[in-house]
Amino acid sequence: GGSDDGESNGDTGNGEFEEQSWQFVTEELQGEVQYEYAAEFANRISEKTDGAITVEPLEFGALGSEVDQAQLLQQGGVELAVMSPGFTGNQVQDGQIFSLHYFFPSDQEQVQEVLTNSEALNQDLRAKYEEHGISPLSYWTEGAMAWSSNAGIESPDDWSGLNIRVQESPLMRETYAAYGATVQSLSWDELYTALDRGTVDAQENPIFFIQSASFHEVQNTVTVSNHNNYVAMTTVNTDWYNGLDDNVKEVVDETVAEMQDWVFEEQTAQNQEGINAIEADTDNPTEIIELTDEQIEEFREVAEPVHQYYRDEVSDIDQDIFDKLQEEIADVMGE
Amino acid sequence: MLATLLSIMIVLLFLNFPMMIPLMLAPVVVMLIFNPNLNMDLLMGQLLTGISSSVLLCVPLFIFAADIMTSGKTSNRLLDFIGSFIGHIRGGYAVTTAAACSVFGAISGSTQAAVVAIGRPMRDRMLKAGYKDSSAIALIINASDVALLIPPSIGMIIYALAAGSGVSVGDLFIAGIIPGIMVFLAFAIYSVIYAKAKDIPLAERQGWGERWKFFRKALLPLAFPVIIVGGIYTGIFSPVEASGIAVLYAFILEVFIFRTIPLKKIPSIALSTGLVTSAVFVLVAGGQLFSWVLGYARIPQQISEAVLGTDPSAIYVLIVVSIFFFIGCMFVDPIVVILVLTPIFIPAAETAGVDLIHLGIIITFQAALGSATPPFGVDIFTASAVFNKPYLEVIRSTPPYILILLLIGVLLIFFPQLSLVLIN
Amino acid sequence: MKILQWVDKAFMKLEEFILSFAIILISFMIIGNVIAREVFNSGAFYFAYEVSQFAIVIATFMGIAYAARKGRHISMSAFYDFAPFKVRKVMMIIINFVASIFMFILAYFSYSFVMFEYNTGAVTTSLELPRYLMGVFIPIGFLTAGIQYLRNTYINFTAKAKDTVYIGIDAPDYNDQKKKQDIKLEDINL
Ligand code: NA
Ligand code: NA
Repeated sequence: GGSDDGESNGDTGNGEFEEQSWQFVTEELQGEVQYEYAAEFANRISEKTDGAITVEPLEFGALGSEVDQAQLLQQGGVELAVMSPGFTGNQVQDGQIFSLHYFFPSDQEQVQEVLTNSEALNQDLRAKYEEHGISPLSYWTEGAMAWSSNAGIESPDDWSGLNIRVQESPLMRETYAAYGATVQSLSWDELYTALDRGTVDAQENPIFFIQSASFHEVQNTVTVSNHNNYVAMTTVNTDWYNGLDDNVKEVVDETVAEMQDWVFEEQTAQNQEGINAIEADTDNPTEIIELTDEQIEEFREVAEPVHQYYRDEVSDIDQDIFDKLQEEIADVMGE
Repeated sequence: MLATLLSIMIVLLFLNFPMMIPLMLAPVVVMLIFNPNLNMDLLMGQLLTGISSSVLLCVPLFIFAADIMTSGKTSNRLLDFIGSFIGHIRGGYAVTTAAACSVFGAISGSTQAAVVAIGRPMRDRMLKAGYKDSSAIALIINASDVALLIPPSIGMIIYALAAGSGVSVGDLFIAGIIPGIMVFLAFAIYSVIYAKAKDIPLAERQGWGERWKFFRKALLPLAFPVIIVGGIYTGIFSPVEASGIAVLYAFILEVFIFRTIPLKKIPSIALSTGLVTSAVFVLVAGGQLFSWVLGYARIPQQISEAVLGTDPSAIYVLIVVSIFFFIGCMFVDPIVVILVLTPIFIPAAETAGVDLIHLGIIITFQAALGSATPPFGVDIFTASAVFNKPYLEVIRSTPPYILILLLIGVLLIFFPQLSLVLIN
Repeated sequence: MKILQWVDKAFMKLEEFILSFAIILISFMIIGNVIAREVFNSGAFYFAYEVSQFAIVIATFMGIAYAARKGRHISMSAFYDFAPFKVRKVMMIIINFVASIFMFILAYFSYSFVMFEYNTGAVTTSLELPRYLMGVFIPIGFLTAGIQYLRNTYINFTAKAKDTVYIGIDAPDYNDQKKKQDIKLEDINL
């Protein structure tokens, strides 16, 4: 993390905290990972400050779209937010690095290790966001992405000729073109119906989300592809954070650090529940396809040129962050 | 705060301010008074958010398609065809009007377009057949409500937007079909009884040769609903794309096949559509501003708890929702009412286990009913302008229709399957 | 005076072109996207929704002034319609003047919003165009609407408006028409 000059005070625990209340906005609904994160965060802060500081978790939608929420945080309308780099990608282009396929490890524990410890992310990328008044205090995963389709995706060739719905961007077009698939833009509200009726052939999301949005009802297969991760950031308004008393800042930092393990377990549990629920839904049978290491290697080979495309062609990308993160990932994967 | 918000809104509305003014002025003033520290940029951003949903693209496109067809001869072709089959039965002209409004409703998303396209030619025919003007107008206003229930429907598009992700416009469209047919049948039955009671003379029965001729002329316009509903149902295209296809079809039909519209007239039809689009979307943008301020102040939770308590039953929620929307739409444009009230009731409806598609049908139905109901339903003023008739003359014969619609409204509340059976 | 009339006419033509072109552009985009996907299995119209979004924003905000000129904004005229001439005249002057002031205030607020968007450097997802390019039409729209409402106020004081209330400069109140002419679809609100 950033500032560590608050340690000298050492008056956390039973120290005096001013009465405050903060709002913590999320991009998800009650019961889903982000909201539960905010609720748990609220409990811990309240406990550590003997109830002096209350945090109010807010569901998605109460205050507008994802873009609105990012602006709300920037303008100080709320103090804290969980946001995904995908939605702030239109301010900080480097946020797109999380959407590269097979750039991060496919092993979830290793992903968690990179997100928690990477300097490229927690210092360099953080500094990029801070230019916009947003401080990401931590990065965590809500689960690896999976593909749902009727085609049963097991190798890059299976993508040939398929239409996939993802959040449209030049990088995503390049990524899926490498497999021979076409990205179709389609509003999220229309996706369930579009999958049901074959308007598009596939979509990507974490397992828990595929289950809660009932996409498995209208798809024959779900491929546990681990091609990238649904990354979320715990963010605060930079000016607000810098203006906090040292003891309060310390409590925030400490809680954010503790939450890393908590949220990793929470998302693992929710994604496992998702898989169980999909398998238990015998009215809508869905084959769960787990990729072998060899199959993943096949995908990685096709995806790698796109990493270079991202590094060299996508505008406003900080190549140093890319290179540094690539090394850090290689270290974790023991290459 | 809520009191300030509502008083500004109501006073300016009743003073005949353009609705966009109170809709944006009230939240801005309330924010300046109660949250002076909040950056106004956040509110302005809502104006963009409000009109950024891609589902909204249906609105200008369906209006454009209807405008092209209204400028052409489509409505007359439909009327001649339907009339040749049922014109001769007891109350035939009235039944034809109801049927034509339903069919035209399947092309157009708005009740007002149906009033203009079907109402004008049909009123002349009904007057000639011996109907009183007030009863012809009352039928036209109320039968045009079907336009909002049968896909495509602008009310449903706005509801899906206000209800948030997870409510599919395609499903709403399909769910509206049975209620729409119910309204048509009820009006048809009433028309037959009325014609018997008033002893309206019968029209001449048309021969099969004539019928065949009118059928051939109406065949292509009749394919319209088949293409739209069929396309959405089979998944060839989404509702937004269906609206694009509707434009393409209307364009090919009127410009190249029937040759009723010269190509160079298309820009001026588009201008008329663009003008309506701007007037409506300014309200949608302002509606988002208004609801955002409500949400920021946590007002929906307060209202919902005050009106519904903490653990309402599904039926109770639907009845309260119906009353709010019915009364709201008697005074204010349905688009505004749906945008502002829907987010207030959605959380309670979800807790009570109400299906959101069912809720959408109830809301759209009440919005249609409210806009045809005196004192201030907007359809009444449209009709007053289109037919150049005084207000009292326009509303004189509406009570029986409103009773029929209220009855159907009750049926829709108690039998969710009427809305849901086609999607399940 | 001649030159002012010419500017006025030119601006109205521009507004008409924008509204008309926006609707035709959206039609092209949405139809093109379906045909590209269903017939050619291609994503060539990937920008369809983004371009349409731009068109909608431009039509919406650039249309405010035009709709004000034509007296076409949706309002609840039940009480107004029953009022006598003098009351209607005073009401219309107040309505247009207050609307004008409020439009200028919104123009100022939304200008600040656009500057905020400009400073974030945010871009759109498909075409990677700066997001502020969309927002910039909000203050422009409010500004032109403010000017239009001011003109709507003024016209009610002129000799031309001696026995007619003007809702907009091109929209005499239909309550004052001796012989109400036939009303066309484009004269009625949705
Ligand atoms: Na399935
Ligand atoms: Na309709």
